[in-house]
Formats: sequence, structure tokens, C-alpha cells
Amino acid sequence: MLVAPALLMLVAVIGYPIVRSVLLSFQDARLTAGAIGTAWIGLENYQKLPGDEAFSIALRNSAFFTVCEVILVVGIAMITAMFLNTPQGRKPFFTTILLIPWVIAPVANAVLWKWILHANYGVLNAIVVELGISQRPINWLGTPESALRMLLLADVWKSIPFIALMLLAGMQNIPNYLYKAARLDGANAWQQFRFVTLPGLRTPLALAVILQTIWSFKVFDLIFVLTKAGPADGTLLLNFLAYRVSFNFLDFGYGAAIANVIFLIMFVLALVFIKVLKPGRPRSRVQPIG
Amino acid sequence: MANASNTVSGSLAHSALTTRSGTRRRLDSFLSDLGVRIGLAIFVVWTLAPVAWMVISSLLTPVSLTSLPPDLSPGQFTWMNYQGVLATGQSLLPAMRNSLIVSALTTSIALALGSAAAYAIARLETPGGNRLAVMVLATQMFPGIVIIIPLFIVLSRLGLIDTYAGLVLVYLSFVLPIVIWIMKGFFEAIPPDLERAAAIDGATTWQTFTRIVLPISLPPLFAAGIFAFIESWNEFMFAIVLTRLQTKTAPIAISEFAGQYQTAVGQMVAAATLASVPIIALALVFRSYILKGFAEGAIKG
Repeated sequence: MLVAPALLMLVAVIGYPIVRSVLLSFQDARLTAGAIGTAWIGLENYQKLPGDEAFSIALRNSAFFTVCEVILVVGIAMITAMFLNTPQGRKPFFTTILLIPWVIAPVANAVLWKWILHANYGVLNAIVVELGISQRPINWLGTPESALRMLLLADVWKSIPFIALMLLAGMQNIPNYLYKAARLDGANAWQQFRFVTLPGLRTPLALAVILQTIWSFKVFDLIFVLTKAGPADGTLLLNFLAYRVSFNFLDFGYGAAIANVIFLIMFVLALVFIKVLKPGRPRSRVQPIG
Repeated sequence: MANASNTVSGSLAHSALTTRSGTRRRLDSFLSDLGVRIGLAIFVVWTLAPVAWMVISSLLTPVSLTSLPPDLSPGQFTWMNYQGVLATGQSLLPAMRNSLIVSALTTSIALALGSAAAYAIARLETPGGNRLAVMVLATQMFPGIVIIIPLFIVLSRLGLIDTYAGLVLVYLSFVLPIVIWIMKGFFEAIPPDLERAAAIDGATTWQTFTRIVLPISLPPLFAAGIFAFIESWNEFMFAIVLTRLQTKTAPIAISEFAGQYQTAVGQMVAAATLASVPIIALALVFRSYILKGFAEGAIKG
């Protein structure tokens, strides 16, 4: 049995923890005096959620962050891929530099933006002051609203390359004769995009939306380095909340409950996307034009 | 006569029309070419500028870094930030060594277990093989926080916190599925005749796999290995929960430079640059494997 060792490993490091995580969420499991006491408390951890101020803030922030991130990343990646799919853009140089933001560690990305956004000496402030957009340097991470948007900027920058490369590969799979046929039928650039490119990209686009949604929920390193969820929980996302409750407040039962809620949200979203976007039916829906 | 002049003026009008639409077309294509070039230029600046600024900053003196706008005169360039980061007592070098050990171990184990499993799913009539493959992909969906809370509890009971073994074990949870998925796609594309011939010659499944299939699978194994190594090298959340002093990885060390040495901006960016160099080099050297991975992933969906 060639499959057995890998399967056992996955059961041990994924299957078992998921079951334990569900069980934990029905327990009062706190670390006190070096030992984790466990007592069954039923749904109490979940009942705490609606009344928890931090949870509702994190839920709101996560919703805002995920929606903006998916729209911005997929949108900009699409435009990027279209530029790279032109005769001038088809040089290996362009796809190669895309690998750099993709490959650097999220922590290094966080450091990079921490320095760019520095309240006194950051280069973004140098630009803003130099161009006269603002008289004084702006404390980008100083208010909850601004900090969340800066976090978004940093994560969008890092996330674009993967999605752009995926969409570009999808575009290069669309046979050229479809465009020629469309032009013969008198389709303009927009119509070619709408009726040839978009249907041809159905599967990679659906995959891009699903993956980017999942990854937006997983953002952790950026928050840890840039803001520690502050100011005033303005950059608190669900993932970070589950970490904070578990490993700073050492309330593992409640942390597991929050983690399970994240998993549930991601699962439902993925199902909805798969239903709506129907990936895996490539190019059967190229519609006749005119 | 009237007829002739009519034809002449008609053809004149016609030729005027064509030249006008000709210049128009040339102007259009010039403008669209210009537009594409401007778009590409913006793309290059947007993609490279943040990283370039990190590298430049890591080479500047504190005086230059704390002036607005930054002082970029040649006299301000220095290696002092790197010397500071590499000085004895700093945690970056040991952390990079830990990262190397953990990533190499994770990658090798994942390749060994993952390629065998992928072969079984792709080729042999593994019961529920298709469902298995989907489940493997679904593991990408689990937020790491779901599995790390119980794993932390178990690993602390086993005394595996702050050990290589504990970290490698947990890293396999996200590296193994990547390897299985990449290799499964490749094995499915191998024509089965080769293996049939081996079977006729009396080779067992295991012999076929190790002597025939694996030797022609080196490029995808390599690609899967690169993906696995990059993911392990960059991982942060599991490492911050599972490591203390002994097995601290490079991302943790970078985050410490960003935290406690808030004032030493130069060292902070130098540490981030230094820890990114091996991984960027890896990606650039083996870019064709990675880009091919993207292309194939998109085809298969």
C-alpha cells in the first residue's frame, strides 16, 4: 500500500486535530498552573460568541477585508494578466519579476510595509509630503480605519502575482482562432474580452476567487508584525482573534470555537462559489456573437 | 467627358479616404502600443519598487534613514546594518539554519510519502481514490488555526514543543497535500504502456514505481520540492506557536527585529532582506519549473 504512509500522516496532522478541535470547542479548556483542565460545557463557548465585542469587531473587519481583497486582487491581477498577454508583455522578464512578491515570506512583506508606512520617515510619507498631498507626515497605522486599509494594501500587493500568473496561464490556453473568428464577426476589444476571454477563463477565475477568499481569511503574519490587531482592535481579523484567545489568553476551548466558526464560514463560501461559478466546464460556453 | 472627370474625382476621393484611414489606423496602433508600454512600466514599478526600497534601505546609515526625504548620496551607503544583524548573539543566522533544517526535512519526507501516495491515487485502483484526491485538495481549505490549537496541546504533552520533529510533523500537514496534488497530475499524464511492459517483464508494483516511474519523474518532483521548500521556509503562525529558543525559524527572527528593535530600522530591513535572499534566489534560478507549475495548475483547474 503506497498510499498508507501519507494517509496515516495526514490523518495524524489534519484529521485528528479537526476532530479534537470540535471536541475542544465543547469544553472548558484553559491552561492553569501548567495543566489544561477540561470539563464538558456543551454549547457555552458558542453561546458566548454573539455577546463578545471582539468577535463582532473581528467578524466585521474580516468581512470588509475579504470582500475588498478578493475584488482588488482578482481585478488588478486580471488587468496585469491582460497586459502580460500582449505581444510587448510576453517577455519572460515580466513573469519572472512577478515571482518576487509571491515568493518573499509574508513576514518580510510585513517588515517591508512597516518601513514604507513608517509614521515619521516612511517613504510613502516622503512622497505624500513632497507632492503636497499632505503638509505633515500621516500616521498610516494610527487610526483603525486607515490601519485596516494599509493592511489591505500590503496584502493585495503580495497576493496579486499568484492570481495574475494563474489567469495569464488561463488566457494563453484560449485558442487564438476564437479571437480571429470574433474579429471577423466585427467584435470590438470589449466584446472580444466579454465573449471570448471571460468564458475561456471560467475555471481559473472561479479558482482565483475561491483561493483568494480562503487566503484572505488566513492572513496572520501581517497583523502580527504591523499592528498586533490594533489600534483599538481596528485590524483584528477572526484568525488573529482565535490565536489571541488561545495562545495569549490561553482559553483553548473558546479559541477552538472561533476557529471552527472560521472554518464553517470558509466552507459555506467555497460551496456557494462552486455552485455559482461552476468551475471545471472549460470553454463549452463560448457564445455565438451577434 | 463628364463621366471621366467623375471617375477621376471619385478615385481621388477614394484614395484620400484610404490614406486618412491608414494614418488613423497607424495612430491607433501607435497609441495602443504606447498604452501597453505605459501599463507595463507601471506594472514593473508597482511590483519591484517596494522590494527595491527594502534592499536600498538595508544599505543606508541611520542618519540617512531618519531624514525626510531620505538622503541617497553615495556616502550614506554602508554594510553596517548587515554587520549588526550578523553579529554574534543575534538570532538571525541560527534561525536561518533552523529554517534550512526544517524546510529540507519537511520537503524530503513530503516528497517520499507524497509521490508514493500520488502514484497510488493516479494509477492503482485505490479504493475511493478520487474521493481521496478531493479530500487532499480540501485540506488547503482548513484554516491553520483550526489544527494548531489541538496540535499544540498534543505536542506539549509529548514534549515536542521547540523540537525539529514537532515542527516538521505539523508542516507536513500543508506540504504533503501540495506534493500529492502536483505529482498526481503528472503521473496521470504518463502513458501506461511503460508500466505495462514492466509488468510483463515480471516487475512488482513497487519495482515499477521505483525503477521506471520515479526516474522519469525528476522534473515534477523537483518542482513539487521547490514549492514545498518555499512554503516551509516562509511559514510563520505554526512556528510562533511551536518554537521557543532552540528551533526558532527565520520568519520568527525577522519579526523580532521588527518588534523589539523598533528604532533600528536599518537592521530590521537588513534581516528581512537577508532571510529573503535564499528564497528569491531559489525562485529565480528555478523560475521555469515554477511558472510551468502555474500553467499546468490552470489547465487542470
